[in-house]
Amino acid sequence: MWLQVRLSEVCLFLQAMFTLACCFSDMESGPIATSGSVQPNGDRFKIEGRAIVPGVKTQDWISSARVTVEGEEYIGFLRTDGSFVVNDVPSGSYVVEVISPGYKFEAVRVDITSKGKMRARLVNFIKTSEVIRQPYPLQLRSSGPHTYFMKRETWGWTDFLMNPMVMMMVLPLLIIVLLPKVVNTNDPEMRKEMEQSMNMLNPNPELPDVSEFMTKLFSGSKSSSSKAVGGSKASGRPAVKRR
Amino acid sequence: MYKSTSLFVIFLSLFVVSEAVFEDQVGKFDWRQQYVGKTLFAHFDSHSQTSKKLFLATDKNIFASFNSRTGDLFWRHVDKAGPEGAIDILLLHGQDALMVVGDGRLLRSWDTNMGGLNWEAVLDTGSFQAACFVAIQDTVKHLAVLKNAAISLHYLTNGHQKWVENLPDRDTVQYQAVYSGGEEEIYVLGVVPNSHLTIIAYSLEDGEIIKQRSVEAPWLSSVESSCVVVGQGMLMCVDPGTLALYTLPIQSLDLEVSPGFQPVLVSSQPHPARSPISEFFLQLGPHHHVLLQLNGDGYTIAPLRDFQPAFLVSFATTGEKTVAAVMTPKNETVSVQKVNNSCFFFFFKNMSQSYLKSKCMCSYSVLLSDVFPPQLYVHAFLKKDDSVGYRVLVQTQDHALTFIQQPGTHTDTGTYTQTLERTHRHWNVHTDTGTYTQTLERTHRHWNVHTDTGTYTQTLERTHRHWNACKPKNTIPTVKHGGGSIMLWGCFAAGGTGLFGIDSKSGSILWKHYLENVQPNAVFKLIVQRTTAHFPHPPQCTLLIKDKDTGLASLHVFNPIFGRKSHIALPVLPRPILQSLLLPVIDQDYAKVLLLVDDQYKVTAFPSTKNVLQQLQEMASSIFFYLVRSDQGNLSGFRLRKDLSTERIWEVVLPTDVQKIVAVNGKRPNEHVHSQGRVMGDRSVLYKYLNPNLLAVVTESTDTHPERAFVGMFLVDGVTGRIIHEAVQRKARGPVHFVHSENWVVVSSSCCKATVVVVVEATVVVVVEATVVVVVEATVVVVVEATHHIYLYRNSKYFFLKVGLPSGAILSLPKMFLDPRRPEVVTEHSREENLIPYAPEMPIRTEWFINYNQTVLRVKGIYTAPSGLESTCLVVAYGLDIYQTRVYPSKQFDVLKDDYDYVLISSVLFALFFATMISKRLAQVKLLNRAWR
Repeated sequence: MWLQVRLSEVCLFLQAMFTLACCFSDMESGPIATSGSVQPNGDRFKIEGRAIVPGVKTQDWISSARVTVEGEEYIGFLRTDGSFVVNDVPSGSYVVEVISPGYKFEAVRVDITSKGKMRARLVNFIKTSEVIRQPYPLQLRSSGPHTYFMKRETWGWTDFLMNPMVMMMVLPLLIIVLLPKVVNTNDPEMRKEMEQSMNMLNPNPELPDVSEFMTKLFSGSKSSSSKAVGGSKASGRPAVKRR
Repeated sequence: MYKSTSLFVIFLSLFVVSEAVFEDQVGKFDWRQQYVGKTLFAHFDSHSQTSKKLFLATDKNIFASFNSRTGDLFWRHVDKAGPEGAIDILLLHGQDALMVVGDGRLLRSWDTNMGGLNWEAVLDTGSFQAACFVAIQDTVKHLAVLKNAAISLHYLTNGHQKWVENLPDRDTVQYQAVYSGGEEEIYVLGVVPNSHLTIIAYSLEDGEIIKQRSVEAPWLSSVESSCVVVGQGMLMCVDPGTLALYTLPIQSLDLEVSPGFQPVLVSSQPHPARSPISEFFLQLGPHHHVLLQLNGDGYTIAPLRDFQPAFLVSFATTGEKTVAAVMTPKNETVSVQKVNNSCFFFFFKNMSQSYLKSKCMCSYSVLLSDVFPPQLYVHAFLKKDDSVGYRVLVQTQDHALTFIQQPGTHTDTGTYTQTLERTHRHWNVHTDTGTYTQTLERTHRHWNVHTDTGTYTQTLERTHRHWNACKPKNTIPTVKHGGGSIMLWGCFAAGGTGLFGIDSKSGSILWKHYLENVQPNAVFKLIVQRTTAHFPHPPQCTLLIKDKDTGLASLHVFNPIFGRKSHIALPVLPRPILQSLLLPVIDQDYAKVLLLVDDQYKVTAFPSTKNVLQQLQEMASSIFFYLVRSDQGNLSGFRLRKDLSTERIWEVVLPTDVQKIVAVNGKRPNEHVHSQGRVMGDRSVLYKYLNPNLLAVVTESTDTHPERAFVGMFLVDGVTGRIIHEAVQRKARGPVHFVHSENWVVVSSSCCKATVVVVVEATVVVVVEATVVVVVEATVVVVVEATHHIYLYRNSKYFFLKVGLPSGAILSLPKMFLDPRRPEVVTEHSREENLIPYAPEMPIRTEWFINYNQTVLRVKGIYTAPSGLESTCLVVAYGLDIYQTRVYPSKQFDVLKDDYDYVLISSVLFALFFATMISKRLAQVKLLNRAWR
């Protein structure tokens, strides 16, 4: 359930982001168009950006990371400060990813027009035309380390006690052991009350108990009947009855 | 609606029998070996004395840093495969490594300490020729890059261009070398073949041409191969035609060049700010080197020493001392083919007086006939007592690197660096080896080497009964001619050079065997003819080697456990082989029969004993095979006749001007069908179309325009040639990967900016009077990441797909997601069938990566094999690296858990035992007390 709530939250947030991005899109496209990053060799462009893993020194992760554009079509490497440039990319639409075995990064789609205008947006493989703007030059912030492993089930007292089977066993035990002590059976008023409640529970006092009936049926004698009642002494209820 | 379904999918996927690794299982069942390829450039880190780093640039476009002591990989950077990422040159200066990539496309500077990039600069177009450091007053600040049309000077600090100059007369002159000797000038050497040599001096400051002169050199064809700069800017050239060295005739030194050998000069420039040393090597023959010295006057050359035989020579400098390393054989015993190679080192104090001091510094042995060492790298360093220490890196022909340190310790850094990539066109894994005894023991318990024959024929019968009442025939699944190679577990078929037996548990090489006379373009197929299950007979594997050009094949039969060649008489194969098929028929020695079909459609059986031939005659009418001619778009089926000739029974032609056949896949011989169908929601049974002869044919369009391109898929019956189903994915293009298992085909291709997976499932709907109506359902799923490879594996219960992702991860994908019957709207029935609602996008969770962070780059294939343990499957992924692991798709239901608490269970047992003892005693006491009362 929390997942749903969480997701709807995320959706709301994204929508907010989208509207924000729409508001700023005009302003954004200005400097990008001028910066244009056209390179000397004609219609080849470069994709620039920066990858950040919060709380981790760059030297600990950049040597195993790389930037891939559209699979392995174009490859860039990370600089010592985490920034990257993928050179020699013709115009088109590309999925840019920072691939690191240690840390998670979101992929970004980068569109380059034939004039070298750059635009970054969220990746959506189903609706490829949907535009949710992202900042350019790319700012890729890692959302933490990859979770490759499952958690082992560990044995703890709380798990054991919270097990429904154990609860089913323990609770009746408590009732049997503790209830007679809590309720003062010697108090006559209380006894009366209990008797009443027993009668309430047993709507037809004339109807014989099934077990009694069965024992009667098989043994047929009166003595055995009393024995049977005595046998179920532990339950407390017949004990009350007998008096 | 879409959002809610996808949410539902995510929700469900949490409960899907997901196969993930526990953290404590890391490295327990899996191993990975990382490789880099054939070394092109190697540098020792000379920055500091104690540095253990070694830098390599390889032909796989990898720049890697190794620990020179242990051979461990510090880091590696894998660039794009192919010529665009090819490393042209690697230069090392202090902490920075300079690299020119992609035929002069990019200039990169790496921080070798951190393994990160300093900067990357785009170079002007033009093909790369040479590069060198340029120094002024003992400090190196620039790098000069020479291209065929221009020379440019770059700052080392940021890669910016200082100046770029076009070279004069670039239409006629081939500029091939650049040289700087620490002065204010950069010299560019160009040659007009067999006419003259052009030397241009550029000013370092602004790139102006200071001097330009041309020297008549009608004998010179290439500066690169025959000229070196020696001493104080003297150009030394060797002329193979008239055997002249520079202007001095070579004969005056009483040297003779081996006939047909191009003499090679080797010199060294220890520091870009200084001139090269005046000593140099001249190679006169394959195993003949001469150490020469250019005298102070600059015109006379004196021979210092003649080395014959000498395989390799190299220079190394530290401080003022220069070392020349020569590798010479020590003693040679041809009979054993074992040669002791030793390194002799000569050193001479700098330039002036050349006193020679030579001794054998270290020796190591190598099998010379197998691995002739083609390259030698030496690093010299000053020890504390001012003597010179050495580190030597030798690359042998199998691309292995051996590191030798002076005291004689030597470490192998990856002994089969190369074999892996070149070879693995296909190697597959089949059974577990280990040592022989181990396997025998395991056969019964854990690693049951599967005995195909029994179960296989069973499957045939069963399916036969089921689907095919009208055609009482069965073909044997066959593989496309020139196809893959199956490998016994733990063996790696290595392209051209060798065959390796690798322990599946640790990845260590148990044995290796070099194959002689194998062309580099040969294709392999490995066939397991006899497993370890037939004790007195050793297991037997056959390697079918086929030359791709001539089609001629040869067989190599060996024992996969020990790698020994067996002495069975091999059939003579004079004709090119088109197809090979392994029959479930066994001879009296329990070896399965291999049939080889040549280009005249004649069949050769191996082994071909009387018994086998008799069996073949009996079975001939039910043996079918198919041939693919992708150049003609032709797929044809054949039947075997009693006299081992064949007849063509059907032919399918796919016009080559529209589409070409990419791959054909039949049923895998070791595939077991465990269920005939599935129970539907309304309690009826949906039967699978289990045709053991079903071929899946995948085609690609010849038109590569993204709008008109398509990928086609045909299901063809291998006996009748009937096309059962055809499907076309429009706007899709390769690379196509597909899996075919039972009644189920998964094809992945890239389409519309994403990878698309098409799932096709064939089911039998009506069986009336022996007519079978086959219904094929198909669905399309979009995979988020571009898939590289899809491979299927299954254990007894679940199908899982193994998918290699370009990021290096191997994804284990439950079949549930690739079910063509996933409904769009959930109904009561579909819920009962455990179908998850259709969502176009495939979720990829990192928990499904069976190789966690052990990435396997450039995956070429994933091979899976069932193990004897029902829950366990073995998986090997190979590409640049090799990764092996075990997987438990439905958890380890037949094995105790890894974290099984033996202490707890035994303590509880003991506690119970003692509790009974004590209570028994107490009961006795109580009884006694009662008796007394």
